[in-house]
Amino acid sequence: MFDWAGIIDFMPQLGKGLYYTLLISVVGIGIGFGLGAVLGLGRIAKNKFLYGLSSVFIELIRGTPVLVQAIWIYFALPLILNHFLVDIFGQIKIGSVTAGIIVIAINSGAYIGEIVRGAIQGVDPGQVEAGRSLGLTGKQTMRYIVWPQAFKRMIPPLGNQFIISIKDTSLLSVILVPELIFQGRTIAANHFNAVEIYTTVAVFYLVITLSLSMVLRLLERRLNV
Amino acid sequence: MMIEVNDLHKYFGELEVLKGIDFNVEESEVVCVIGPSGSGKSTLLRCLNSLEEKTSGELIIDGDRIGDKRVNINDIRAEVGMVFQQFNLFPHKTVLENIMLAPMKVRKTSRKQAKAKAMELLEKVGLQDKAKAYPRQLSGGQQQRVAIARALAMEPKVMLFDEPTSALDPELVGEVLEVMKQLAVEGMTMVVVTHEMTFAREVADRVIFMDEGIVMEEGPPEEVFVNPQNERAQSFLKQILETQ
Repeated sequence: MFDWAGIIDFMPQLGKGLYYTLLISVVGIGIGFGLGAVLGLGRIAKNKFLYGLSSVFIELIRGTPVLVQAIWIYFALPLILNHFLVDIFGQIKIGSVTAGIIVIAINSGAYIGEIVRGAIQGVDPGQVEAGRSLGLTGKQTMRYIVWPQAFKRMIPPLGNQFIISIKDTSLLSVILVPELIFQGRTIAANHFNAVEIYTTVAVFYLVITLSLSMVLRLLERRLNV
Repeated sequence: MMIEVNDLHKYFGELEVLKGIDFNVEESEVVCVIGPSGSGKSTLLRCLNSLEEKTSGELIIDGDRIGDKRVNINDIRAEVGMVFQQFNLFPHKTVLENIMLAPMKVRKTSRKQAKAKAMELLEKVGLQDKAKAYPRQLSGGQQQRVAIARALAMEPKVMLFDEPTSALDPELVGEVLEVMKQLAVEGMTMVVVTHEMTFAREVADRVIFMDEGIVMEEGPPEEVFVNPQNERAQSFLKQILETQ
């Protein structure tokens, strides 16, 4: 009764969805990692302004649902921007893919910020003392001594966050990002093959996340030599 | 004068740990600082390279006044080697990389030169065959000898030792003290916080006994050990020499 063989006809469309899911995940998490590193350093900064700014950002993002952030950035943010800036820049539009990347970036960034902070604070203070006592500057000590050791500790929680972010991209279908589940819903609505399509979509997600898990495990093993 | 300390005070919050320390170290002099734990000797040592910031007082290292705006603390630290009780080797770097890092990044020495220097130092501490090992593959004594080599790679004018053998198994203490003795013979200026009274007696030019944040007794080892004037020094030495 289920037409599994027929799935093959929809592969181009699902492939397009997969492309957007991967694009938004990779770019979003990439930016999120950079943002997270900055936020993590901000959270351990002695400078009160940097600390405050990072803390507020992290709490704001952690405290609101991803879905709300996506809808707000896609539907509300352009209205606000246009209200204040239309005279300078003209009508501003935020495309759904751009909005999706922003959502994944700020979300993963906030959580990665906390991962980075924890990992850096977990490095033995004696390491910093050893570096500084050799005449290395604070920056050099961070770069050559603390960060490499902290990075090793970050890998398991980072992997966890990457997987969460990949799954979060599915929420972006509500702001019309043409990613996997968006394509799946379009197909299923037109061809009445919900079981086959949604199962295939689920398997696609599983394949992505399992591959990532495997890569991370290899990386962890490599760095633990 | 290599190190000049005048009326040095250090507070941790409300607690006064150093209550006006005066002491000098001349070039090539070996000074051992002894005293019960909590006496402030490690804090004093850590103030000397600003790992702890002094609260007040004067601190002059080889003519540079610490706290002076024209004096860059990183430059001072580069001239002052420090060896820690817990070794603090960089676990993600090989022995060789541990030693080469600071000369390359701080002194901008070429990789080739830094490596040659590192190998020379490893030979000096008797560990040339461990160049490619990681710190965790070494015994405590070996790690501490690498830590000494790492500090020496910066060609410091002074070496500070913060209880360098206290974390070692008894049978590994000797190899570290041997390296330190060799350094002293070569004329290195050294300040050593230690519980190794035999070492202090043999190697030190001067011994400083500290208690409760004050220098209570100071003099050549034969005087301090054989005929201490201060009552606390007497009871401390009696206790420790009986057990050793």
